[in-house]
Amino acid sequence: MDTVIECSALKKEFKINKRPKGFLGHMANLIVPKFEYKQAVSDISFRINRGDAVGFIGANGAGKSTTIKMLTGILAPTEGSITALGVHPQKDRKQYVAKIGAVFGQKSQLSWDLPVLDSFYLLQKIYQIPDQQFNQTLEQFTDILDMSGFIEQPVRQLSLGQRMRADIAASLLHKPELVFFDEPTIGLDVVAKEKIREFVRYLNREMQVTVIFTTHDMQDIEQVCQRLIIIDKGRKLYDGTVEGIKSTFGNEKKLIVQFESPACVYSIPGVSQKLKPNHVIEFSFSSDQVAVKDLVQALLAEHAVLDISITEQGIEQIIREIYEKGI
Amino acid sequence: MEWLSLFKHYSVLTIKERFQYKLNAILVSLAVFLREGATIAVIYFMLLRFGSINGWEMYELLFLYSYIFFTYGLFILFFTGLRDFEGLVRIGSFDRYLLRPRGLIFQIIVAKVDWFAAIGHGSLGLLLFLYSAFQVNVSWSAINITYCALAIIGGVLIQAAIFLLMASLSFTFISVSNLRQILYWNTRKFAGYPISIFHASIKILLIYIVPFAFVNYFPSQFLLHKTDMAEFPALYMYIAPAVGFALFGLAMLYWRYSLQFYKSTGN
Repeated sequence: MDTVIECSALKKEFKINKRPKGFLGHMANLIVPKFEYKQAVSDISFRINRGDAVGFIGANGAGKSTTIKMLTGILAPTEGSITALGVHPQKDRKQYVAKIGAVFGQKSQLSWDLPVLDSFYLLQKIYQIPDQQFNQTLEQFTDILDMSGFIEQPVRQLSLGQRMRADIAASLLHKPELVFFDEPTIGLDVVAKEKIREFVRYLNREMQVTVIFTTHDMQDIEQVCQRLIIIDKGRKLYDGTVEGIKSTFGNEKKLIVQFESPACVYSIPGVSQKLKPNHVIEFSFSSDQVAVKDLVQALLAEHAVLDISITEQGIEQIIREIYEKGI
Repeated sequence: MEWLSLFKHYSVLTIKERFQYKLNAILVSLAVFLREGATIAVIYFMLLRFGSINGWEMYELLFLYSYIFFTYGLFILFFTGLRDFEGLVRIGSFDRYLLRPRGLIFQIIVAKVDWFAAIGHGSLGLLLFLYSAFQVNVSWSAINITYCALAIIGGVLIQAAIFLLMASLSFTFISVSNLRQILYWNTRKFAGYPISIFHASIKILLIYIVPFAFVNYFPSQFLLHKTDMAEFPALYMYIAPAVGFALFGLAMLYWRYSLQFYKSTGN
């Protein structure tokens, strides 16, 4: 398969001036500054293929923004190497960035005081997009992203959802083959998020654009990405399919049973019980140790059961556990 | 000439942007004109009292002074982005420049072409320059005109080199506004006068450290031939226009080297 990004043993260290407390310490620091090194990214390697849609997740400060910045060529890695679209992102900067797009949810690239269209025309000039291609792309995006209502308004008058859509369009006018979305759904309402996910999905599936997507919203990942990379404390924790994470970490199931009358269930190996009101007992177990079928049969055979429901651990919950406990 | 069309496009946008706040746009030029005009008025009235400084007559002093204004007016037109660069670094929006397939210095220059401030500074500088140029005893031969034009470009580049150096330092120190205040703005105050009147330390500062002397003093000496030039090597007059080009080239090299220290703040 066609490799789009290959990075190995990426490491990024920031030098931080360590300021001692107190006035004297402050003065001493001016003369002999003390530095400490903070590793934002310690050791990350992966390969991304053409047409992939990869979700990048990690708690705040895990190192995902730093990784994205290295991949886009904004930051130089302290160690390790990156080859993207066949070139070195920093050494061949102009050549590389002409073929990528980057959307930063927290940093707009549109001119605050000017109509959206003006920023688009400027980008046409910057990327030297031929008129015909530009008009065609613009028409297409205006349509899909539903921008016709606000495209001639100054950016400062737009809602966050509108601004985000305009920002996405701005980053894609030059038809990049590889697009980075860094928290594009941050702060948006459910409908606005849905529109953006739909568009990214379209971009990835219909237009074969390779997409790298960071977010804190697991629904974004589930709906857009096939592959998931989890980063924690500057290291890669997981790299695989979105489904895979459920079978790897999310094999805990819960069986919630409501009995007709107060019931006493003998303890079953591998199953923990929790008593709830209304004669409900919650059974937790790992699906690779206990088969649901056996458990249900055993319960039905011995007790009068009113209702049974089963829940799987959602991806959100799995991730929360990973962030909290590590793997 | 493709870059020229991009420059034009950016210019139109910044003007349009400024005109979102119409009153402010008009006032910027006026404010700059009045502020700088007041400085000149102070010097003018002071000179009326003293008559001359170290052999320099009033019009010669105004001629000397006009270089500072005129070159700064041109500088501001092209290099406002360079002057305000640390702001880009502090809020991390330099990221966007790195993501666009154009030269970085080029983008910094064109993204903030400030016609309004330039008109304020430049028109005053030009008026003063033209006014004094015909009062002083200079024969405006082809050679002198060419030299003068090159010296003005060189003067712009000296200031651009200083600001490019500051911009490079802002990758490491993030905020450099105080350093700029000390090195540029305070030194500039000395540069309005013939440097021969100052203590040796100030002369060293103006010639070798923050070389304002090559912006106005030595070019003026080439044209005016005042006697106080005797204490400096005559060579300095001839190389004055080239100093700007050389310094800007060096500053460019340092800028390239410093780029790797860019830390990109925030998310």
